[in-house]
Parts: sequence; C-alpha cells; structure tokens
Amino acid sequence: MATKKHYAFVIDVSRCIDCRSCQVACSVENNVPMNNTRIWVNDLGVQGEFPKLERTFLPYNCMHCDQPPCVQVCVSGATFKDKVSGLVLVDQDACIGCGFCVDACPYNARYLNKERGVVDKCNACVQRLDQGMQPACVATCVGKSRVFGDLNDPESEASVALRNAHDILRLEVETNGVDTDPNIFYINSPMMKELNLPISTGQPLVSQMGVLPRDPKYTIAEIGWKKVLVPLVGLGIGASFLVQATYFGKQLLEGEKEFDE
Amino acid sequence: MSGYKNIPLEERRRLRDKKYKKHNLANILTHWFNVAMWALLLPTGIAIISSPLLGLTPLWWQEAFRNLFGGPANLIKFHYTLGLIWVFVLTFNILLGFRKYFLPFAATSLLLDKDDIEWLKIKPLQMLGFMKDKELPPQDAYNAGQKLYSYVVILGTLGIISSGIVMTFRNVFPPILKQIAQPIHWVSVFAIVAGLIIHFYMGAVFPEEKEAFFSMFSGKVSAWYARAHHEKWYAMKLKEEMDWEDGVDREVRKATLPDT
Repeated sequence: MATKKHYAFVIDVSRCIDCRSCQVACSVENNVPMNNTRIWVNDLGVQGEFPKLERTFLPYNCMHCDQPPCVQVCVSGATFKDKVSGLVLVDQDACIGCGFCVDACPYNARYLNKERGVVDKCNACVQRLDQGMQPACVATCVGKSRVFGDLNDPESEASVALRNAHDILRLEVETNGVDTDPNIFYINSPMMKELNLPISTGQPLVSQMGVLPRDPKYTIAEIGWKKVLVPLVGLGIGASFLVQATYFGKQLLEGEKEFDE
Repeated sequence: MSGYKNIPLEERRRLRDKKYKKHNLANILTHWFNVAMWALLLPTGIAIISSPLLGLTPLWWQEAFRNLFGGPANLIKFHYTLGLIWVFVLTFNILLGFRKYFLPFAATSLLLDKDDIEWLKIKPLQMLGFMKDKELPPQDAYNAGQKLYSYVVILGTLGIISSGIVMTFRNVFPPILKQIAQPIHWVSVFAIVAGLIIHFYMGAVFPEEKEAFFSMFSGKVSAWYARAHHEKWYAMKLKEEMDWEDGVDREVRKATLPDT
C-alpha cells in the first residue's frame, strides 16, 4: 500500500551501546511499564574468535511493515495501517485483546497488556510526530544509533542515512503468502551478512528473545474455523435465502389467496 | 389439516370471525424488543468483523458503519452497550415469567412428537415438489419446523450471550477464550440468521400465514387459521371451551334446580 508518507526507522547497529535509554524514553513518553516496553534491545552475543571479537546489539520495535500480517488477522479493526503516515497503529479502545495479531507478528513486536486486556506496541510516538517532533526513542538515543524519517522525502534523515550506509539489512519475511516488507533498516554492521536472512532462504536470527523473525502463527480460531465455518455459514444462509426467494417468486407469479370466498 | 378444505363456506366464515388468543402481551413485547435489537445489532456486528483473512464483511460495509459511528471503537462500544441491554432485558423477562410462561412453554412446546417427525419427513419433500397429494399431520401451537428452529434460536442465543460477554469484558477473560468466543459469536448469529430469513418471509410476507403476522400485534388468531395450520392446538382450545361450557352448565343447574 502506497501511503503519503513512508516512515521508517534506520538503526545504525554499530552505534548501539545497549544503554537502553530508548526503552526508558519510550516508557516515560507512552506510559508503558518497564517490564512491558515497546522496545527491546537484543544482545546477539559475542561473536568471532579471540582477539577479533565483536558484540552486536540489535534494538528492536514494531517494524511498521508495508504488508503487516497483524492487520490481516485483526477482527475488530483495532489494528490498522494508517493511510497517511503508513504506520501500523492500534486503536486500543477497539481492541478486545484476543491476541491473534500477537501470534501473527513474525517479529514478536506486540504483546498483550494483561491488566488492560489490550494489545500494545510501538506507535512511533504519533503524538510527537503530530507536533513535528521525533519519536522519544530517536530523540533520546545517545549514540545516534536510531534515525527516524520519511523515506518518500529523499532529504529526510532516514533517507540520507540509508544512502550513506554500507550495509543494509531488513528482517524480511516471505513465507506462505506473507511478505512483510518491514520498515526498520539495520545498517552498518559487518557481521550482518553472516546472519543469512531472511528466514525463507536461510537461518533466522537467534537472540534471547527467541528466533526472529519467526513464521507468522495462525490459531485454529482463524484458519480451521475460517475454512470450515465460513463455507458452512454461506451454505446455510444461501440455501435459506434460495428457499425464501423461490416461494416469494411463486407468490408474486401466482398471486395471493389467503382465504377462499 | 385433514379435510379443512371441504368445510362449507358458511362455516368457514364463522371460523374466520372467531378468535383465539395465541400470544400474551409479555411474549409480544419481548418479540418486538428482540426485533428492534436484532435490527440494530446485526448490521453493526457485521460491520465490526474486519479481518481480511476471514473475509466475511465487504469493505464498503465496514467503512460505511465506521464513518457513521466515528471509528471502530465507537462502533464496538455501541454494539456491546446495546448487546448488554439486550442480554439484561431478555434475562430479566425470562426470570420474571419463568414459572408462568417459560416452564409451560418449555414443557409443552419444545418436544417433537410422532406427528412432528412425520411432518419433518413430508414437508421438505413437498417443498421440493414431491408428494403434493399427501396430507400433513396435525400440528401443535408451533409446527415441527418452528420447533426445530427454536432449538437453533435457544442454543444460538446462549452462544451469542456467553461469547459476547467474554469479548465485552476484555480484561477479565484470558485471550484464548476471547479467540474461541469470536467464531462462536458469529456462527451462532449466522445460524439464527439462516432461519431468520425463512422466519421473516413466513411471518411477514407469505400470504397463508398473514394471520401469524397480525397475531404478533393483537395476540389473536382466527379459529380458521388455527384449524388449518395448528389443528392439535385448535382441538385443545375447543376442548377447553367445551369444558368451560360444561362447567357453566353445572353451575347454572346447581343454582336453579333445587337440591335432590
């Protein structure tokens, strides 16, 4: 879906020092508890052989995909891709917290807020964007690892950072008709090439958050019931309508005789 | 309906003018309350189901209702607020009339008897054009088709209410229940809707059943209609009437004749 703006995060992996101030900023800005942040920093661990060692941190939040699987499964219309900004947002008043989208998201970028019974995730601080400010995590990033901007504008910070990057990685997911086209671009990590992504073609990324990205999961409630119940419902209603239509047609053709005088 | 077509015209006119009470006021009001609630809840409910993967509701329908109510959140709030009112009133009415109306209804009007089974065998074939000359067995106040549909309605209503409550109180119930509740909710609704199409046509449009429609306002049907469509019920009414006359007779005799 082509949107007017095409917001994207560009994350310079070589500049991330795992200070997690982005998590704190996010928590403060969006009033999210620290044990349920919308941002995570994955430690990919120490890699390489002594003395050539490298340690990589992978900051992580909602990828605001171009074709988000979470929107595909949302039953109440709470999750949607904004037509102007292209951000994937959750209308928490409309969310019933069933968690279909949590299972469907290949990036584990969503979680269920158990107290409020709704799904929560990064909204790229739309409230700040409306005021012309950067998202809280981007504004606070001490290493200038996080960059945010509109990719439709070639002069935005994100576009410039992407142009100057020497390595670009997207955690692309292409499997079973799902093609996410995520909008977090990881740049400038020499070890990125060795990670063999995306999952459809090779080894996925293993971190303490599990294997990412993973295949989108669909529960029985969506797949099995959709395949069985929707045709059944269609059949039932169709048959009943047909009977009714036949009799009504007959009634119109033959005229009415309610009571023989 | 044995031979009701051979009744002389004079007698038929007399039967048409004679009325029997079929529905009491409580039933009539509950019925029209239910109609109003369905008319509001069904379109808004259909408009909520947005998942493109499920593909149940056309996009224009969703958009139209979202624009009408101002976003999915308001649409859902409207839907469940009205739904809770519906649940409350229905439960209240059933509890209030539990002994007077509900138990007698459940005891006499729900079970299928031999005639009903026979009716179920013949009627579908007749609708397909076979066995046109065969007479349908006499029916109770509700015929076998209505009885079957009442099972769908009762089970469906229970399904709608329980799954709706699960989805409304989202911070009380675990996600797995909310996932199961969704298909239960819409399958119950559409099972009822499948029958509702017939119910609506038979009740409001089909010429032979016109009286049934007006009986949902006045509560009364003519003896002619009762005899033609619900013969067993008509026989019961007749017997009641004759018993009552006998009773009056006895009273009068007691009052006028001296003790012997």
